[in-house]
Amino acid sequence: MPETLIPADVRHRLKGLSLIARRAVGDRGIGLHASHSRGTGLEFAQYRPYEFGDEPRQIDWKLYARSDRFFVREAERESPVALWILLDASASMAQADARRAGFSRLDAGKGLVAALAELALAQGDRFAFAALRDTGLALTRPASGTRHRDRLHLDLHGLAAAGAFPGEAGLAPLWERIGQRDLVVIVSDWFDPACLDLARRLSAAGREVLGIQILTIGERDFDYDGGYRFRDPETGEEVLGDGAALRAEYLGRFGAAQASLHAALDAAGVRHAELVLDQPLDTPLQRLLGRTGNRAGGE
Amino acid sequence: MTPTLLLPLGLAALGAVLVPLVLHLARRTEQRPTDFAALRWLRQKPRPRHRPKFDELLLLAARSLLLALVAVFLAGPALLNTQDATPVIAFAPGIDPATVARDAKARAIWLAPGFRPIDTPAPHYAVPIGSLVRQLDTQTAATAPLTLVVPATLDGADAERPRVSHHVRWHIVPGAVAASKPTPSPLRLALRTDTAHATGARYIRAAAAALELPIDSGDPAHAVPKTTTALIWLAGGPLPAAVTRWIEQGGTALVASDTVVEAGATFPTWHDETGRPLVEARAQGKGRVARLLQPLGPMAMPALVEPAFPKALAELLAPAPPPTRVEASAYRPLPGGLPPTSQSRDLRAWFALAISVAWLVERWLATRAKRAIAP
Repeated sequence: MPETLIPADVRHRLKGLSLIARRAVGDRGIGLHASHSRGTGLEFAQYRPYEFGDEPRQIDWKLYARSDRFFVREAERESPVALWILLDASASMAQADARRAGFSRLDAGKGLVAALAELALAQGDRFAFAALRDTGLALTRPASGTRHRDRLHLDLHGLAAAGAFPGEAGLAPLWERIGQRDLVVIVSDWFDPACLDLARRLSAAGREVLGIQILTIGERDFDYDGGYRFRDPETGEEVLGDGAALRAEYLGRFGAAQASLHAALDAAGVRHAELVLDQPLDTPLQRLLGRTGNRAGGE
Repeated sequence: MTPTLLLPLGLAALGAVLVPLVLHLARRTEQRPTDFAALRWLRQKPRPRHRPKFDELLLLAARSLLLALVAVFLAGPALLNTQDATPVIAFAPGIDPATVARDAKARAIWLAPGFRPIDTPAPHYAVPIGSLVRQLDTQTAATAPLTLVVPATLDGADAERPRVSHHVRWHIVPGAVAASKPTPSPLRLALRTDTAHATGARYIRAAAAALELPIDSGDPAHAVPKTTTALIWLAGGPLPAAVTRWIEQGGTALVASDTVVEAGATFPTWHDETGRPLVEARAQGKGRVARLLQPLGPMAMPALVEPAFPKALAELLAPAPPPTRVEASAYRPLPGGLPPTSQSRDLRAWFALAISVAWLVERWLATRAKRAIAP
């Protein structure tokens, strides 16, 4: 795993990106996701000295009684949109290429998660993270602030890919937490049909879903030559074969599967982009969240 | 010329070619385990393609060639029927080849040991004609016509007319072959006797007197004079080392029946009238040992007192040389000899050379710096 989750050049290019939940636009008003209901929020944030222009009813009179000064009670500013970053942590994500053995699909996914969290932090949106695996979801609540970002980094550093994609029961906590208008980004290899199913249902339930698919170079090009014992990390199945002999048929079938996946995602209204491990980390982010991506709506 | 193998079993070593084949193939068969999440789109081939692939074909070829050469070398390669079928004309020594008309294409040789070409100087010594005719017959290819040019009188013939497999043209020209000079060696006798054999020694002395030959008598301790050609040793016990050495240098000895001599294959040389062997002889070194089988006395050997005894003794100690001169027309070779054995040339030396060259090539290929690291 790389020492820094986000390479410097990727971090630099993040500045041109913005998270815009299209379904939330215009709903409440100011700013990118504008409404912050100052004072009326549920979560207490801080006291601040009274300034001219503050509404008198915001003054905390009990505190005035104790301190003989006016203080205004402020609630935490809440964005109406929370960004949910769902990272697939099943065993298939641990796959890496022989060409760059130390950089697995999960490492790329962690980088993407960190980059998305940076974006959300920069524009003041709350963000939450969940690792999708059948041994426990590892949820964090939606929140903002650098401490929350650091906690996310800590979670990411301890995350290892194992097990299979969670079933419907395992995903139930997500349904309880993802809000009506939240933006959901699913980072996965999208090989498991359950993943597509989750995206489809989230989208149908009114959440805006973005899909990022991470592929290894071997999956895209099938550049294996010679005898191999291919093993599925999740099911343990094995296929013996000569790389060159399997290549043509694999590429054909894989291409068809990808096309049908893209069609299904498009039909479900899920914008999606693809990252192959030899590409810069922000490639899918540029497609989905860049100027053109936001306007054109992805692929 | 037919290439052949003298020991075809050696070709079993060709099986060793499998070793480099396996060495160059083995690394291909192993399957590298690889995680592959998109396995569901990989379809197991019903028959996984397993075309054997070999690494480093050039080196493999060199190694296979090396082993194949070794196998053929072990099998003993040879070329059969290497004789040529050109006619052969052989001149007995003493004939001027210019006087005889001959085929220009024929191979002309001297009928002399070595069968040297006719343009070398003619041998001036006597040659065993009969033996040479037989040898030339077996050494000449069966298809090659053979012509022998001999003088009217031959020297060096033996008691048997040669039997040959070829149809020999026996061309007789006037002249005589160089004769071997008969060198009759005068018989110089020495008699060594101990007291137990004094009676027998008298008969020997009498025979020597009858032959009018001087005889050097003495007891066994006396040294044998250098000029002696035949020694009569009448003493029991083993022969002294000095006498044995003298025999091995070319002497002829007649020893008594109770003398201990070295054992060996013997043949009887003198029989009495009833056919009973009286003397058996054996070659020893360059010389000859004859041993009496009976005590030397008239009771056991009645021949002692017969008038022919002195001549028989002289014949025993110095046999007359067999007659070798013959009229050429009477010595014409007879048909019916064994056909010449097929001659073959051994090719193993050439194969050894090829093996060493192939080995050097293999070493060069295997150790050159550009060679890729084996996968």
